[in-house]
Amino acid sequence: MFPPRAADARYSMRRRLLLAFGMLLVVFLGVAGYVLDRAFKQSVAAAVAERLQLQVYALVGVAEPERGGFFVPDLEEARFSQIDSGLYGFIYDAAGRELWRSASALNLVADTAGLADMQQLPGQTTYGELAIEQDVLAWAAYRTYWQSLDETFFFVVLETNAPSVAEIVAFRTNLYVWFGALTVLLSIAQYLLLRWGLQPLQQLAREVSAIETGAQNELQRHYPEELEGVTQNLNLLIKSERERQNRFRTTLGDLAHSLKTPLAVLSTALQEAQGAAALSEDQRQDMHEQLQRMDQIVSYQLKRAVKGSQLPMARPVSVLPLIEKLAAALQKVYRDKQMQVELRCAAGVQFFGEESDLLEVAGNLLDNAFKYGHRRVRVTATQQGKALLLTIDDDGPGVAANDRHFVLQRGARADTAKSGQGIGLAVVVEIVSAYGGATDIQTSEWGGAAVSVRFG
Amino acid sequence: MRLLVVEDEDLLRARLVKALEDQSFVVDSASNGKTALFHATEYGYDAAIIDLGLPELDGISLIKTIRARGLLFPILILTARDNWTDKVAGLDAGADDYVVKPFQTEEIRARLNALLRRAAGFAKPTLEFAHLSLDTTAKKLRVADKDVELTAFEYKVLEYLMLHPGKVVSKTELTEHLYEQDHDRDSNVLEVFIRRLRQKLDPDETLKPIDTIRGQGYRFNVPAKGR
Repeated sequence: MFPPRAADARYSMRRRLLLAFGMLLVVFLGVAGYVLDRAFKQSVAAAVAERLQLQVYALVGVAEPERGGFFVPDLEEARFSQIDSGLYGFIYDAAGRELWRSASALNLVADTAGLADMQQLPGQTTYGELAIEQDVLAWAAYRTYWQSLDETFFFVVLETNAPSVAEIVAFRTNLYVWFGALTVLLSIAQYLLLRWGLQPLQQLAREVSAIETGAQNELQRHYPEELEGVTQNLNLLIKSERERQNRFRTTLGDLAHSLKTPLAVLSTALQEAQGAAALSEDQRQDMHEQLQRMDQIVSYQLKRAVKGSQLPMARPVSVLPLIEKLAAALQKVYRDKQMQVELRCAAGVQFFGEESDLLEVAGNLLDNAFKYGHRRVRVTATQQGKALLLTIDDDGPGVAANDRHFVLQRGARADTAKSGQGIGLAVVVEIVSAYGGATDIQTSEWGGAAVSVRFG
Repeated sequence: MRLLVVEDEDLLRARLVKALEDQSFVVDSASNGKTALFHATEYGYDAAIIDLGLPELDGISLIKTIRARGLLFPILILTARDNWTDKVAGLDAGADDYVVKPFQTEEIRARLNALLRRAAGFAKPTLEFAHLSLDTTAKKLRVADKDVELTAFEYKVLEYLMLHPGKVVSKTELTEHLYEQDHDRDSNVLEVFIRRLRQKLDPDETLKPIDTIRGQGYRFNVPAKGR
C-alpha cells in the first residue's frame, strides 16, 4: 500500500483548465485585437489615400498653365484657401521647380519639392507621409503629361493626419473597452462552466471520503457516462476487496482447523501412551513439547497472515460494544475470579480497521489481564483522529521492567517461546505493527501491568 | 456425570471419549450437529463438549438451539480456530468456556470440573459440607480432616449428590448420569453403594448426610459451606 500523497495544487484539474483557458483567452483576444487594429489602420490609410487622390484630381481639373506657372482658380475645397488649414496643394515642373502652392501652404516650411520623383511615370500617383515639426502629413504626388505644352508636371497634395490619428485612437479605446468587458465576461463564464463541468468529480471525491469514514459502503449516485466506468469499477473493486479478505480469512480458518485437529489427535494419543513401556517419560515429554511448538507456530503464522491493515476503504468499528461483548465473554470464562471490569470508553470511539484485528488485540490483552489480575481490570479506549488508543490495566503481578523489551520484540517470541508461554502478546505486537502502531507496557496504578496499544 | 461430546473427527472423538471415561464420566458422543441436538434434547446431560467446526449444523448454531430450548447444562467449546471472533461468538451464543485445539485431556477435565461445580453454585474446586470436603480436582474425600478412600463409582455417586445438595435425586436420575446406557442397571447395586457411602461419610451415624426419601430417591442434606 502506498502512503497517501498530499494533494498537489499544481495537479489541480480546475487550476489546469483555468490556466489553459486563460492563456487561450489572452492569445485569442490579443491576436484578434492586433488584426482588428491593423485592418482599421489600413482602412483609414486607404480612405486618406483616396481622399488625397480626389483632391489631386480636383486640382488637376481646375489648374491652367500660364506664363511659365499655373493659375488655379478658387477651389471647391475651402481648406486650400485657408492658411495653415492642414490641406496643402503644390505644382512642380519636371525639373522640380515649384510652379504653384495653395494659399493654405504659404507658411509651410517643408521639403515638399523632394516629393516629386523624376522616376515616376506620368499618370502614376505615389503616396507617403512627411513629418514636419509636430505634425505628420500624408501626401499624394501625381505626375501628369500636359499635351498642349508637351511637358510633365507634378501635382502634390498634403493633408495633416491628425484626424485619422484621432480616429484610430478612438477606435483603439473602443476596442480596449470592449475587449476588457469581453475578457471579464468570458472569465466568469469559464469559471462557472468549469464548476458545472467538474461537479461530478467533486461529488465523486465527497462520496469516496464518505466511504473512507464509513458513512456509506459504496458509490451510490449516478455519474455522467464518462465517469460511469470508473465509478462502477471502483464499486466492484471495493466489493471484491472485501470479499477477497473474507474469503482469505475463511480459507485460513479452514486451514487452522485442518492443521490443528491432527495435532489434537496426536496430543491426546501421546497422553494415552503415558506410562506405556514403548515410550520413556523423556521421549514423551520431548514429543509433547514439539507438538506444542508446532501448534504455536501454526497459530502464530496463521494469525500473522490474517491480520489486516488500515485500509482506506475499511468500515469503522464501534469500539464500546465490541469491548463489552469481549468482557462479558471473559467474565464467563473467569467466573470464579469475580473480576471488577471498568470500561472507560465513550460511545463514539471508533476503530478504522478490521473488526477481527481489534477483537484479537483486545481479546489477547484482556485475557491476560483476567488471567493474571486478581480482582480488577480497566479498559480505556480513546481516539485521536483516526488513531485508536487502548490501555488495559490489571492488578496482577505486572511485567518486570527487564522483560518488557523482550516481550514486545516483534516476531521474537513465536519460535523461541518456551512451552507454556502463550503467543498472545506476540500476536498483539504483530497486528499493531501492521497498523503502523506501537505497543507499550507500564505499571498500572494497582501495581499490575498496564499494556497500551496505539493503532495508526 | 453424563457428558455429551460432539466432535466430527472420529479419531479425536474416540480418544476424547476414552480419556473422559477414564476420568469416570459417562460419555455419549455425536459426530454432527443434528445428532448432537437430538441427544441433547432427548437425554439429560450434566455438561457438553462441542467442537465449533461441525458438519450439518455448526457448533454455534447448535449451542444457540440448545439454549433456545431451555437446556442450561454447561457447555465447553472446542475450537481449532484460535481467534477471538470465534471464541466470543461461541461464548455469546451460550457456551461457558472454551478450549483451543490441540489440548491436554487434563485441561479438558479441569475445565469440565470447574463448569460442573460452578453450575451447582460452588465457587471453589473443593466442595465443603460441615466436616466433609470433596476435592473435585484430586477426586479425594476428607472427613474431619482425614483422607477417606473412595472407589471410582462411590466418588461418582457422592459428587453427583453433593453437586445437587438439598435436591431429591431419583435412582433413575442417578443411574442415567452415572452408568453407561447399556450397563446393567440394578437398583439394588445402587442401594449397596449408598449404604457404603453412608458408612464412610458418617461412621458414627451422627450427621446422617444422605436421606432416603421413600419411593422417590436420595437427598444430600448437609448445608454447604462457601457456596
